[in-house]
Amino acid sequence: MTNITPVAPTLAVVGLGHAYGGIDDTTIAETGPAAGTSKHARTGTVVAAWDVSFDVAGGEALGVIGESGSGKSTVMKSIAGDIMPTTGRVTLQRGDGTTAVITEMSPAEIRALRVNDLSIVHQNPADGLDLRITAGGNIADRLTAAGWRNFAAIRERAAELLTRTEVPLDRMDDPVGSFSGGMRQRVQLAKALANTPSVVLLDEPTTGLDASIAAGVLDLIRGLLDEFGLAAVVVSHDFSVIEMLTQRCVVMQHGRVVEHGLTDQLLEDPAHPYSQRLVGAARA
Amino acid sequence: MSSQSVLDVVQLHKSFVLHNIDGRRVDALTGVDLHVNVGEHVALAGSSGAGKSSLLKCIYRTYTPTSGDVILTDTDGTRLALSALGEREMVMVRGRRLGYVSQFLRAQPRRTPMDIVTAAGILRGTDVTTARVLAMEALDRLRLDKGLWDVHTSVLSGGERQRVNLAAGTISPPRLLLLDEPVSALDPANRTAALDVIADLSAQGVAVLSVFHDLEAMERLASRIVVMRDGRIESDGPPIEILSTLRAVAR
Amino acid sequence: MSTVRDLVATRRDNAVMDAGAVRAIRRAILTAIAVPGYQVPFGSREMPVARGWGSGGLQVTMALVGSADVVKVIDQGDDEGVNAVNLRRLILRASGATETDDVSESTIVQTRHRIPEAGMVDGQILVLQVPEPEPLRGVERDTRELERMHAEADYAKMWVSLYEDRVRNGMITRTTGYPCVVAGRYVISTTPIPRWDVPALHRAPYLALFGAGRAKRIYAIPPDTTVEPMTFEDVPFEVEFTPGARCRHCGSDDSYLVSTPREEGGETWACSDTSWCRARRHQRGAQ
Repeated sequence: MTNITPVAPTLAVVGLGHAYGGIDDTTIAETGPAAGTSKHARTGTVVAAWDVSFDVAGGEALGVIGESGSGKSTVMKSIAGDIMPTTGRVTLQRGDGTTAVITEMSPAEIRALRVNDLSIVHQNPADGLDLRITAGGNIADRLTAAGWRNFAAIRERAAELLTRTEVPLDRMDDPVGSFSGGMRQRVQLAKALANTPSVVLLDEPTTGLDASIAAGVLDLIRGLLDEFGLAAVVVSHDFSVIEMLTQRCVVMQHGRVVEHGLTDQLLEDPAHPYSQRLVGAARA
Repeated sequence: MSSQSVLDVVQLHKSFVLHNIDGRRVDALTGVDLHVNVGEHVALAGSSGAGKSSLLKCIYRTYTPTSGDVILTDTDGTRLALSALGEREMVMVRGRRLGYVSQFLRAQPRRTPMDIVTAAGILRGTDVTTARVLAMEALDRLRLDKGLWDVHTSVLSGGERQRVNLAAGTISPPRLLLLDEPVSALDPANRTAALDVIADLSAQGVAVLSVFHDLEAMERLASRIVVMRDGRIESDGPPIEILSTLRAVAR
Repeated sequence: MSTVRDLVATRRDNAVMDAGAVRAIRRAILTAIAVPGYQVPFGSREMPVARGWGSGGLQVTMALVGSADVVKVIDQGDDEGVNAVNLRRLILRASGATETDDVSESTIVQTRHRIPEAGMVDGQILVLQVPEPEPLRGVERDTRELERMHAEADYAKMWVSLYEDRVRNGMITRTTGYPCVVAGRYVISTTPIPRWDVPALHRAPYLALFGAGRAKRIYAIPPDTTVEPMTFEDVPFEVEFTPGARCRHCGSDDSYLVSTPREEGGETWACSDTSWCRARRHQRGAQ
């Protein structure tokens, strides 16, 4: 039977825009790729992101490619609820079937969402982990926040997650600060998966790791995305990361999406001048 | 086209605009019309740069066609305009209906042949248990040493990787399979086994569109050969006819 | 002084606090009773004792006490501790109340470090002197974040610290100030009473008021309020217990005992609650 109607997206970003400073039609028209900047010359307003739309379904990973200042961080922060965007809407389908409108939620609701439904894996493990406490304790943080109160059950779940993310169990009770960079990232992944979220945001998850370590972490992430059926957004400036993890991606420049497409298509047949330059530089 | 049609390519054009090399325009396909039916194996021939790989990639949407249509007809007769399909829909079509086997294995270095081939079966809708059985059969038929089934692909040779790639591409085969030099790195014995596997696809009703660099493979597999030149189709006919012409040119 | 009605009633100045101060502290106390376990800020006054020496407890007591009250003041369970004696003298002089060391006679018991072993009843008030009211201080330093955590009942960090304690030490090592959930909502520090006394707070028939002078916070456990020590379901809350320890005076082995090293080595034990111990000895002597 022919059914290529995709399942409803788990995460939907619609018309997202965020500006620092006042905006009107000219600020929008006079910023972006054509203007060559996200900062409006006359008013000084920075249009960090504008007119950004995409969606991601469970089991799918979408890449967001761009250099620093492209607006990808702004988009990530808006999804994470860290900033309230100037305009647009971000919605997330929770595991229980309800819809969370992230752009309308209170800080307390955002925090609950981040415990149960939306996880972020940061580039710097120190942003996602407490390095003073143990690997198990870092996972316990997520579990207790979700209401786990049984010590043995918490231990068991933490061990299960650490095993899955290939952290040796004899390190479970060591402070994460004593771990290598790659191992910290694995603990961060374990923590991110603790409450089986429906969406995970991966922010440069392997940047800063040695190539061989990064390959192992990437491989692990790829397997976890398949296994858990998560909807993932992968932000990276590194094409090898995007290529390995995602099926679709968007390219951002000066706060706008300049191109979107299938990942292999964007890498082999980029259409926008900026995409071509990025790919050319990466392939050189 | 008859109801047996699987692929219809209509007036397909592909140009690359190289924005960073003074906006230069390179034409890869200049109006290709092509039809492939159920169970048919159409081999693309022509010198390098003729547009064979570009055609496969435009069908698979690794390249975005500049104009023209690529239509895949599903088992129930639904015609899917691949060239106009949304990205997520295209990802879904790639799963079960459309496959692409390139010359090189693209997989994570730390996965094993068994994992990769099983995952490909699952992607095309086979349950895990069946997929494992089929994966073992496929690897066996392609003569991959059993001792290599559970090692990371990073330790495999080029020929071994190519067989893993072909096993993954042909397990629970899709409706239309695109093959781009899938046996280029194989020694004669393994190559024969691989060609047998590909030949079987046609018997199963899979439509195949292929690029091989040697005429023997075409002779063994193709039900029709299409010769390309300068981004368009130069001739299209039965293998015996086309091959004799090609051989004459080669001499 | 036993009901909310009494608290609302006007009262004249006493020698330590003017009527305005009394009213302000009572207002804080009423808020604290209305929101059990919530730390209510109040304008801490200069007291004739240094902050950190029971000024918070003293202000609470001075806002409540009148000449008709009977006051017991203890320090570490001892009515004769220096701090207890000084505070008691101050309270009696300023209010005209009478003193007692008998819990059953008292209307107000002000204490540092202990809850009297002898059970208190409905109508009595327990005032605790609190050095550090914030139960989450050890896990979070940022004041705004602390406020948020309480506001959202987000106590995951405390749970993690309990988890870490158990993982690293094989047991919960926290001794005084054990964190407890009051009325299923706010976490308080049962500071600085030992774990031994924590169960006494659960559904206690009397009002318990916690005053922290330095941190300027008052919190309350109204009568018959649940007070649950934060502990994992499968890790029972345990109070201090030393097998074989007995009070060298009264022979008790089911009261909170403190140890004194013996000159010849080893240690001896004695009840921390001296008046309770004395009463037990008299009782046994009489028998």
